[in-house]
Amino acid sequence: MTRPVFSQAADRPQRSGVLALRRKIIDKLATGMSWLAMLIVVFVLGSILWTLLKNGLPGLTLSLFTHSMGAPGTGGGLANAIVGSLLQTGLSILLGAPAGLLTGIFLAEYGADSKLARTVRFVSDMLLSAPSILIGLFIYMVLVEPFGHFSGFSGAAALSLMAMPIIVRTTEDMLRLVPVSMREAGIALGAAKWRVILFICVRAARGGIMTGVLLAIARVAGETAPLLFTSLGNSEWSLDMRRPMASLPVAIYQYAGSAYQDWMQQAWTGALLVTVGVLIINIVVRVGIRGGRT
Amino acid sequence: MNENTMQATPSADVEVEASASAVSGRPIAIQVNNLDFYYGKTHALHNITLGFPERSVTGMIGPSGCGKSTLLRVLNRMYDLYPGQRATGEVMFSGQNILGSGLDLNALRSRVGMVFQKPTPFPMSIYDNIAFGIRLHERVSRSEMDGRVEDALRRVALWPEVKDRLQASATALSGGQQQRLCIARTIAVRPEVILLDEPTSALDPVSTARIEELLDELKTEFTIAIVTHNMQQAARCADQVAFFYLGELVEVDSTARMFTAPRESRTQDYITGRFG
Amino acid sequence: MDGTAEQPTQAEPPQITRRWDGDALFRTLVVLTGISVLIVLGAIITVMVTGGWKAFSTFGPSFFVTAIWNPVTQHFGAVAPVFGTLASSFLGLVIAVPLAFGTAFWLTALAPPTISSVIGMAVQLLAAVPSIIFGMWGFFVLVPVMAHYVQPTARHMFGHVPVLSALVSGAPFGTGLLTAGLVLAVMVVPSITAVMRDVFVSMPTVLRESAYGLGATRWEVMRQVVLPWSRQGVVGGIVLGMGRAMGETMAVTFVIGDSNHIGWSLFAPANTIASLIALEFPESPAGSLKLSSLMALGAILMAISFVTLWVSRIFLARGEARAGKRS
Repeated sequence: MTRPVFSQAADRPQRSGVLALRRKIIDKLATGMSWLAMLIVVFVLGSILWTLLKNGLPGLTLSLFTHSMGAPGTGGGLANAIVGSLLQTGLSILLGAPAGLLTGIFLAEYGADSKLARTVRFVSDMLLSAPSILIGLFIYMVLVEPFGHFSGFSGAAALSLMAMPIIVRTTEDMLRLVPVSMREAGIALGAAKWRVILFICVRAARGGIMTGVLLAIARVAGETAPLLFTSLGNSEWSLDMRRPMASLPVAIYQYAGSAYQDWMQQAWTGALLVTVGVLIINIVVRVGIRGGRT
Repeated sequence: MNENTMQATPSADVEVEASASAVSGRPIAIQVNNLDFYYGKTHALHNITLGFPERSVTGMIGPSGCGKSTLLRVLNRMYDLYPGQRATGEVMFSGQNILGSGLDLNALRSRVGMVFQKPTPFPMSIYDNIAFGIRLHERVSRSEMDGRVEDALRRVALWPEVKDRLQASATALSGGQQQRLCIARTIAVRPEVILLDEPTSALDPVSTARIEELLDELKTEFTIAIVTHNMQQAARCADQVAFFYLGELVEVDSTARMFTAPRESRTQDYITGRFG
Repeated sequence: MDGTAEQPTQAEPPQITRRWDGDALFRTLVVLTGISVLIVLGAIITVMVTGGWKAFSTFGPSFFVTAIWNPVTQHFGAVAPVFGTLASSFLGLVIAVPLAFGTAFWLTALAPPTISSVIGMAVQLLAAVPSIIFGMWGFFVLVPVMAHYVQPTARHMFGHVPVLSALVSGAPFGTGLLTAGLVLAVMVVPSITAVMRDVFVSMPTVLRESAYGLGATRWEVMRQVVLPWSRQGVVGGIVLGMGRAMGETMAVTFVIGDSNHIGWSLFAPANTIASLIALEFPESPAGSLKLSSLMALGAILMAISFVTLWVSRIFLARGEARAGKRS
């Protein structure tokens, strides 16, 4: 009855045969589902891009860029909406970037782990994820209703509230990557802390901070909801930030819900323009990051 | 207790006293008296008394964590950047106790410069790296600035290598060049004292040799304190050597005596490589 | 000065006494800017709550439990849009999470590296596409599909099954809760996938390799090593996606159907808080009870998104602490 020492070895093929088959089937099932999920996601996202291109490209004419919006059938373009978007996005960055930069500096260089800094960090993240329509509603209450009219300026203000938290985040993250030795070297030369921060640390982190600004531009350029109640939209050519102002996303929203063929065409083309713009910025940023790393 | 305590008042004549300095015949640039240093609750330096003679090189050696870098960072109050670090005692420089309050730290640091272990070129051009420090403390004309930059670069023997690309980014230089640039940046501010914290530990032997040569020239004009792990470097460059161990100054003496006839057995052990 | 330690080399050394260097000013500036962020959020909350105060005080607690939204009788309650918000986001996540997980699994374990980085990048890029694009796609592509194929098929299959028939009832408009959920799912899949991929990748390679070394299959490694290791981060990413879905306006407004009734049907038209605000705000005069009710809804949405972010932060922070500890 003495069993050989390696007797289990004799059982192994049989035992693991059943188990191995079971494991193999489960693995095949799981990887199969994974393939399926990936294909669905790629198919759907591809379908969105294809729909955009199919419906948007035919409307890509010169007059789209040279004419302002007009009544259905009058051959209007989107020039005023494009310019309005550029103006409002630009102003929002002019407002949001300095505030975001200074707050990021506060978090990285002064606040560190203090209670105030942790609160500011959390609140900034809250603003980052706050529903954009509420930002619009808020600006309506403080900048539109009291003055009695919609304005491009209030639209830019709403967008700046969306841009700022992105810049806060990236500024803080990037400043934290600047080595301590760089700060000490500046201090050791007798430079005041603010000089070290502005002329050495921010400079060293400028690539990353620019990335944040670009991402912020990409984010706000496609926002519709914050503009609905602030700059409202305007079918006429206007560069006056104190008056209602057109923007590409709001124009798309108005046109897409209409029943007119040419408006719907322009909505698609406008959507294509916004998407391509946003994607180009994102690609530039990603390629830039990759280039910067090597 | 300590016999220096009574005499080491701010009015004491440091030049005459020159306690714990081994280079004879030179006035003392910085005199440290009864210095204690704390990282929070950790007592990192114990009752240090040490003089740094003018226009000579003081080498500071000892195993890692012995407090030599800590002492260096007291001399330009670098520790002020970090809450929880504090020093007690006295550090006399230019007739003033620099540990006292009401001091303009930026002015102090313009007179006591520092070079770090890893080269720290700023993210700007070679020219601007040098000009940055000068602009902090002086208003100079464009042509004068050009002259100052060139002068600083010449003194670290970097001028021939970079004179055609002064506007190129400083980060593109090699490690040894970067470190010489950092030294040039420090001397361009015209300090009286230069602190070097293991300035060659990140460099190759050739670059190290150039920096050591440089120290020899610089000491004709500046008071130099250098922390090093490299015993040969201390022997080659220093006029006096201070040996630190576990936060205490074990012994300080002229370089020749330190490496031939140390008084303390701990020094002997460290120098001959029995520990550390 | 006692003149003992004068430096002959320096003609006029800068005095080492304190002078003004601008640090205090700059410090004040950045601290104030930081505080202004708090003020902005405080102002948003204040504006929402005071703006909604009229509704809160008129209807009292019943505002939170009434499912009526009737501008004619001036009677408003929060339940229908809150239900629509939660239901559409829930549906969206139920659809999105398996797709995102499958895709992340595929990207990190099954795909060849080059293809993985290309598709991974494409998916990440799509997270940046403006939400109105998803809304348009839903309206022009998905709604017809739902109306002509999905809904009739579902009614044909389940219309006579006792419980399920309630879920598929209603006229085949193509808009409704399920369509909104689908559009939301498509919108949040890229970002959830990106988060999942990042936490999967952040797991130390040695862990993965030692599991493979034991002879585990790819699925077993995912199920028994990667997933337990990265659970916190995965949950954080999902909750973050949920926050986005609940606050989304444009992707939903096109396809939700604009109705303030609560129905059990997946195909019933509904409203989310955000879509209701977007659709009804233009018809709400200043100072009206309706506007106040919309603001009150805004306050509720703010609270929901606050809680969501808070929860996701807890999970993500735990996940990060874990990653830091193990790597």
